[in-house]
Amino acid sequence: MNRFENYKHQLSLLIFASMILVMATILGSFWLVERVATGSPWLAYAAAVVANLFLAALLTAGLAKYVTQPLKLVWQAILHVLPERSTLDQPAPNIDDNKVAAELVTSLVMQVYQLASLSERSDDKKLDQNTRVIVDSAINLPLPLLAVDKKQIISFANEAALTFLGLPANQVIKQNVYTVLDMSFSDDKTLDSWLQDCRANKAKASHSWHHIRLKLADQKTLKQFDLAASYSKENPEGIETIITIFDQSERYGNEDQSLDFIALAVHELRTPLTSLRGYVEVFEDELTGKLSPELTGFMHQMHLATTQLTAFINNILNVARIQEGHLSLQLHQENWGRLIQEAVNNLALQAQLHSKVINYSIDANVPLAGVDKVSITEVINNLVDNAIKYSGDSQVITINSHLGTDGMVETSVHDDGVGIPATVMPTLFEKFQRNHRNQAKIGGTGLGLYLCASLVKAHGGNIWVNSKEGEGTTLSFTVQPYSQLAGKLKNSDNTDIVRSAQGWVKNHSLYRR
Amino acid sequence: MDQPEQAPNTATVKILCIEDEHFIAELYARALTKAGYDITVIVDGVEGLKAAQSNLYDIILLDLMIPNMTGGEVLHRLRDPAQTPPLKAKIIITTNLEQKEETRQEIEKLADGYLIKAEVTPHQLVDILGSLK
Repeated sequence: MNRFENYKHQLSLLIFASMILVMATILGSFWLVERVATGSPWLAYAAAVVANLFLAALLTAGLAKYVTQPLKLVWQAILHVLPERSTLDQPAPNIDDNKVAAELVTSLVMQVYQLASLSERSDDKKLDQNTRVIVDSAINLPLPLLAVDKKQIISFANEAALTFLGLPANQVIKQNVYTVLDMSFSDDKTLDSWLQDCRANKAKASHSWHHIRLKLADQKTLKQFDLAASYSKENPEGIETIITIFDQSERYGNEDQSLDFIALAVHELRTPLTSLRGYVEVFEDELTGKLSPELTGFMHQMHLATTQLTAFINNILNVARIQEGHLSLQLHQENWGRLIQEAVNNLALQAQLHSKVINYSIDANVPLAGVDKVSITEVINNLVDNAIKYSGDSQVITINSHLGTDGMVETSVHDDGVGIPATVMPTLFEKFQRNHRNQAKIGGTGLGLYLCASLVKAHGGNIWVNSKEGEGTTLSFTVQPYSQLAGKLKNSDNTDIVRSAQGWVKNHSLYRR
Repeated sequence: MDQPEQAPNTATVKILCIEDEHFIAELYARALTKAGYDITVIVDGVEGLKAAQSNLYDIILLDLMIPNMTGGEVLHRLRDPAQTPPLKAKIIITTNLEQKEETRQEIEKLADGYLIKAEVTPHQLVDILGSLK
C-alpha cells in the first residue's frame, strides 16, 4: 500500500503542478501580449491561446502516459498471451524504467504470464470467453477440477487435479475421462449414466455422488472421494461438464477399517465353529441310536446352535457390508418354488426342535424370479426364524407365494403368535430395534429385519408387515420376476459359477439333491 | 443318518489336503477316508506346493492361511505354466476368510472351487467332491 500511496501522492503533485503551470502560462502570456503587442492585440492573443493549447496538450499527454503506464504494461501482457492477439510484442517484464509502483506491476504481469502458461496446458483454443473466465479462476482452486467436452475428452484439469491423480498434464488432458478416472460407484447410477440422461433430457443439471472409489495409475493407491458434476448443454463446441472432486480418502479409509475389523472377527469366529460343526456331525453319525432320547435331543440342539451361530455370523457380515456399500448381489434366474422348498427343508430341523411346522404353498402362476439365491434365502431364513421365535404357543408357520397385481413375486410368512405392538411398528426394520417386553424371553439380535429390508430393497422389491398384538404377524416381501430384469442384468463372464452360502465350484452346482 | 455317497472309482481318487488347522484336517480326513478316498494332509505351504507339483493327486484342497507360503501364492504357482506343468487335479480353495472383490475375482480365474469351511460340514464336503466331474 505504501507504493500506491506514493504513486497517488506523486500523481497529485504532478497534476497540481501542471494545473499551476497552465494557469501561469495563460496569465503570463496574456500579460505579455498586453505589454508587448503594439498592433492589433487579437493576433497576439490568438498566438498566445495556440501556444497555451499546445502546452496543455503536451502536459496532458505526459500525464496520461504517466498515469496509464502501469495499466498499459498489464494490458499488453494480457493481450500478448491471449490466443487471438499473439502477434503483439512481449512487454519487458522488468519495469525498471518505470519507478511508479514497479513492484506491484511486475508481480501482476508475472501473474498474467503464470496464468497464461497454466491455461496453455488445456490447449483450449476453442474455449469461449465465458468458459475461459471460469476456467482461469478455477486454475488456482485447491479443489481438483476437470472440464470434459461432449466427446468425454478432458479439455482441462487444474493443478490440484493433476496432483490428486498423480499424473502429468499430457496423460490427463485430451484423454478420455473414463480412462483417466476408472471409478467404482456404489450402485448403477454412475457418472456415465447420469450424463447420458442429461444429454437426452436436460439443458442444465448438477449432481453429486458419495464414496466413489478410484485406483490410481500406480495400481496401488486407492482414493475415495465425493464427486460433484455440473452439466450444461449450451456450449456447442466447448465444455459440457465440470467435475469437482472432494477427496475423502482419509475419512472413508477409516470407515473401511471397520469392515476389515469385522472381516477379521468373522474369520476368528468361523475357525472354532468349523471344528464344532464337524464334531457335532461325527457324534450324530456315531451316536444316533446309542443315546437316550434325552441325550439325542441335546445333540440335535447342539447341531441347531451351531447352525444358528453360522447364520448370525453371516448376518453381521452382511449388515457390515450393506453399511459400507460393499454388498454385491449376483442376480440370476431362479425357480421360486424350488428355492422356497430348499429353504424350508433346511429350516425343518430348527422348526422341529421348537415344535413348529412350516407349511408352504406356491401359486402355479408364479414366474421365474430374478434374485441372488444366497441373499434371498437369508431373507427367508430370517423371516422364518422370527416367526418361530414369536409364534408363542401356536404351531404352524405358513409361507405363501403368488404373483402380485403389480407383476412382482409376492411372498408372505405368517405366524399366529404374539403379534407386534403398535409402538414397535414404525422402527421395525431398523437395526437393533427390539421390543423390550420380549427381550427377556426371546433371544435375538435386532439385526434380522434390518437385513431383510436391506436385501429386499437391493433386489428392487418391497417389504412390509401386517400385525396386531395378540393376533399373529404376516411379513411380506416382493422380488422381481426374471423377465423384468433380463434386460437390465449385467452379463457375468463366469456363468458356470453357481454360488451358494457354502461357496462355489466351477461347472458344477452346489445345490443339494 | 444319511450315508455319504461313494464316488465312482474312489479307491483311485487321491486327495491332497493342505491345511494347518489340525482338528479340521482330522475331521476332513476321517470323513473322506470313510467315503473311500485316499487322503494326504500337509500342514505347510512350501511342502504342500512341492507335493502338489508331483501331479499325483486328483483333487487339491487348499487352505488360504497356511505357514511359509500362503494358499494364494501356492495357487498362483500351481497355475503358472512356467513353474508347474498343467496339473490333472482340480484345486478347491477352502477358507474362512471373507474376501475383497479383486481377490475373489483373481481366485475365480485360477481355482476350480471355493468353499467356506464354516459352511461345509465334512459330510457336505464329501457330497460336493463326490459330484465333481
